[in-house]
Amino acid sequence: MKNVLANSVDRRSFLKSGLAGGAGLMLSNSLPHFAVGQGSKMNDLNVALIGTGAQGQVLIQACSNIPGLNFVAACDIWDKYNLRRGVGILRSQKHQTKPYTDFRELLEKEQDIDAVIVATPDFWHAPITNEALRAGKHVYCEKMMSNTHEGAVSMVKTAAETGKLLQIGHQRRSNPRYLYVKENLLDAHKLCGRITNINGQWNRAVSEDLGVPRRTEIDDETLKKWGYKSMHQFRNWRWFKGLGGGPISDLGAHQIDIYSWFLGANPKAVTASGGVDYYTSHEWHDNVMAIYEYDTASGPVRAFYQVLTTTSAGGGYFEYFMGTEGAIKMSENPKYTTVFREARAPDWGSLVSQGLIKRKGEEEVRPWEKPKNTAVDVRETAALDAYEVPVALDKYIHQPHLENFFNTIRGEETLNCPGHEALQTEAAVLKVNEAIDAQRRLTFSPDDFHA
Amino acid sequence: MSDRNNSSTSSDWCDSQCWSFLGFRLFLAFRWFFAGLDKFELDGSYSFANYYVNMDRMATGIAGSSILPLWSTKVFALPSGYLMLLLSLTLLLGIKIRLSLIVSLFLYLGLTVGMMAVNENSGIAWLAIHLLISVMALQMVKSAKWVLWKD
Repeated sequence: MKNVLANSVDRRSFLKSGLAGGAGLMLSNSLPHFAVGQGSKMNDLNVALIGTGAQGQVLIQACSNIPGLNFVAACDIWDKYNLRRGVGILRSQKHQTKPYTDFRELLEKEQDIDAVIVATPDFWHAPITNEALRAGKHVYCEKMMSNTHEGAVSMVKTAAETGKLLQIGHQRRSNPRYLYVKENLLDAHKLCGRITNINGQWNRAVSEDLGVPRRTEIDDETLKKWGYKSMHQFRNWRWFKGLGGGPISDLGAHQIDIYSWFLGANPKAVTASGGVDYYTSHEWHDNVMAIYEYDTASGPVRAFYQVLTTTSAGGGYFEYFMGTEGAIKMSENPKYTTVFREARAPDWGSLVSQGLIKRKGEEEVRPWEKPKNTAVDVRETAALDAYEVPVALDKYIHQPHLENFFNTIRGEETLNCPGHEALQTEAAVLKVNEAIDAQRRLTFSPDDFHA
Repeated sequence: MSDRNNSSTSSDWCDSQCWSFLGFRLFLAFRWFFAGLDKFELDGSYSFANYYVNMDRMATGIAGSSILPLWSTKVFALPSGYLMLLLSLTLLLGIKIRLSLIVSLFLYLGLTVGMMAVNENSGIAWLAIHLLISVMALQMVKSAKWVLWKD
């Protein structure tokens, strides 16, 4: 009931209704809402979620601690399962969420929406985003922007034409640890010296294809209408050409985005190898290895990236930036994140005393302890000193990126990953699949990175 | 009957408590020996010069990270390495074992206080184990055998 009252007094509905006489009563009813600190109603945003599957539910969870959001509508074609679950979660969080199975109907009927979150399969990102932008909504779209370069370009153009915000869900760009490393350690202090190489990976164990709970199947006509051949394909769209981009886009895109972001440059060429080595029911490559070449302001950088979906061995997922004076191993998982100092680098003692980095726990020598014996074989380079980044994310991993989006709508921030920047990553990632098919080194054109 | 007599004879020679004490005594003796020796080591070499570097670092490190004044940490640190070696000798040979254990107890206590001052919880726990061993050894000191100079 409180939520109904709260919804009834947002600025838009107040101005539209023009019921000034009733405003006093309505405002007085909303006072407890202000008192509990859920944010000013003047800044409340009406939001629609399109795509309430696994990723949509992750984003619902990430939004659950962001004040001032009203999830007024949700949409998914799988009404017997995804939509029911997504709307159920939202309603349990006191949102008055209306369910839809057709995003066009949602955009037509829900005129009061400020922002749309798109968490559908990749091949629907561009059509939905473009229609939402043209309907005057700001859009937060999950990455990849699209399964095609053309689709991604169209999103950037539509955002520019409509003047609406388009944020792409490369959530690491709003992660305070990533921001700290880029701004403080790399840009300001050039801790790595000259970055010459990058090594990154995301290795996952073999997993079974997703199944379908009993009596929840979508009828064939509906599946066909939305571009799926079968329920199996609908559930496992990531592995099918024409629907997604395979693991290099599902997993690799997040990390290849960090390569370009940290380097401040786009790749000039890529060589790649991949194939359907293990799975029998997939179209996309299950294992991919790629080598990018960058020309940065500091010099050339060679970057390896692999995504393996048949083994979890090899140390999880990380982006490892290696330079002449140090290296930074980044990961969304803080336990993999470490900064290493080359023995030849200038002393980092002042950085430690400033609190910019801190010595890694097990390697730490307290001020009163005797330094450990570091003598090594003359042919061996001394082991790198390890340091920690003193910044941790204490929220759901997508929350800061969503906060950045909503705060930008409110005019308080600027987007951390606008569509035109994400397009550059889109181009870099999609080229990997092309290079695998071409079986040769492919070069990028500057036009690839711009709409 | 005869078995019981034999057993009684064995217990009189060195009963369970006597063996337990010997275990504690040897543990502490060797622990002090290697802890003391370590104070003379730096980058793989041993010297008196290294000793003063190490102990000075210990004293200034603790003082710099706590409210303890530098003079107090120096007074404690500078002789402690020699004291550790001396204790290892007295415990091993059985020279005034009760007095050695009392000194051990207070040396561990002093080291623990240093760790408390810098809020080094793992160090406190680590030293507390040694402190407890010293306490238990002191409780059993009457069972000491093989001593050169009795208390």
